[in-house]
Amino acid sequence: MERGYWIKSKPVYTSLVWHEKATSHLVLAAGIGGMAALKLFQQMHPAQPVTVLYAKYAQMEVDYSATLKKIVPDNLHVFKFEEDLLTELKSIMPHMRMGLRIYVAGSEGFIWDVAKVVKPFGVENDHIMKELTDTLARSVYCVHCKAITRNVTTNIVQCCGCERMLFVRDHFSRNLGAYMGLMVDAESPGELPAIEEIYP
Amino acid sequence: MNMIDVRVAAVEQVTPLIKHFKFVKEDGSQLPPFSGGSHIVVAMDAEGRTYRNPYSLMGSPTDTDAYHISVRRQENSRGGSAYMHENVRVGMTLKITHPVNLFTLAKMAHKHVLIAGGIGITPFMSQIEDLNRIGADYELHYAFRSYKQAAFVEELQKACGNKLHCHSDSDGHRLDMEALLRSQPLGTHVYVCGPSPMVVAVLETAKNLGWPDSNVHNEQFLAPPVGETFKVQLAQSNIEVQVPAEMSMLEAIEAAGVQADYLCRGGVCGRCELSVLECDGGLEHNDHFLTESEKASCSKIMPCVSRTKGKRLVLDL
Ligand code: FES
Repeated sequence: MERGYWIKSKPVYTSLVWHEKATSHLVLAAGIGGMAALKLFQQMHPAQPVTVLYAKYAQMEVDYSATLKKIVPDNLHVFKFEEDLLTELKSIMPHMRMGLRIYVAGSEGFIWDVAKVVKPFGVENDHIMKELTDTLARSVYCVHCKAITRNVTTNIVQCCGCERMLFVRDHFSRNLGAYMGLMVDAESPGELPAIEEIYP
Repeated sequence: MNMIDVRVAAVEQVTPLIKHFKFVKEDGSQLPPFSGGSHIVVAMDAEGRTYRNPYSLMGSPTDTDAYHISVRRQENSRGGSAYMHENVRVGMTLKITHPVNLFTLAKMAHKHVLIAGGIGITPFMSQIEDLNRIGADYELHYAFRSYKQAAFVEELQKACGNKLHCHSDSDGHRLDMEALLRSQPLGTHVYVCGPSPMVVAVLETAKNLGWPDSNVHNEQFLAPPVGETFKVQLAQSNIEVQVPAEMSMLEAIEAAGVQADYLCRGGVCGRCELSVLECDGGLEHNDHFLTESEKASCSKIMPCVSRTKGKRLVLDL
């Protein structure tokens, strides 16, 4: 990685903080992201209505649902899987009004799945507050066969679609929620640099 | 700037204070196409000086045979609106700029809420044509003092049907901004054009309700305020220009024969920005374009609306 080099497409994540100005809040968390949700309620209980959707079993098997149940005043919905949470999200979005603030905490895959679900309802991803928890694992989009390989923790990975060895780049597509993967041994087939875990 | 020669084809007194003007190209050809929300600048040659005022195009963007503008006679007009009202007659020729749109509709919006106050209705009159054509979801809120002073209500009723909501102060039907903005579906964009307190009210209400800035649009061209007389030294052209009290710095520069850029002439677009090389008093920033820190730095100025508190200014022009 070059020093002082900033890739614009690479997303920047923050710690969740309540927006002071809002008409309602929607918190979406998965796995360790539940901790980020708990931290939000440590800051304060907002005056406006809050809805929390939490998926227990993200990549890492942790479960903050018991604590969340004690802390979140009402409107907490706990799901077993992220997909179930996303389905519920899709069904509640049409009832939401301007002034809704959205907060997401979880893996990068989860964050961008949420962004994809809310976008058709007119919520741009810049307006979502995002905290990366769980893991730095990346989704990798193969520029050759367009397949997306999930949970990649290494600098080089075999594409789940075309089986090419891909170099995982820092260029990120918000639409796909994935980093670009480029064939690494195109020039000299079979010659691979060392494969290392760099996205634990 | 390359200007278009137009002939005044019709003038109509719409309300006691508002006149509607129709312009056609002098050579009978088509005018350039434009999009809803665009404005033009009309140059008026009055005795000894040229006024250049921005006006929204209010006709249908699909009609390039003629342009339509409406001018409200301002109470303390520096001359522009009074000139339009008193001197401009059918058959006269005028020069106008090409249309520019600083108030475009957001393409990604799911719904548009348009809020107009008084003569601020004009940019919306071309926008609703665009919205009707694409079948967009919208509502138009038109606030005015009384029906007698409100222009184009009938035309709007025809064009918008039940999407038009009139709010007449004299009937006690004030627009409840908070209730209006609180109930909008996600993906709504709000647009406001009208008197300054109304624009501020919409911006503040939207902010307090947690609307993202990118969903809030306003058009508020400022009239250049009257101020003290001062001198401007133009460093590149190497001339000195006297700016009289009731002329803007931009007008004075133009009157001296120096070409300067502009689009809105109302302190919003940023096109006229000039670098300040020297200044002996503080700057009087009247624009909505520069950031607070840029204003404080005293290094940039928008000559269409801003002045100096001192006696002399040196600009990089
Ligand atoms: S001309 Fe637009 S800010 Fe001056």
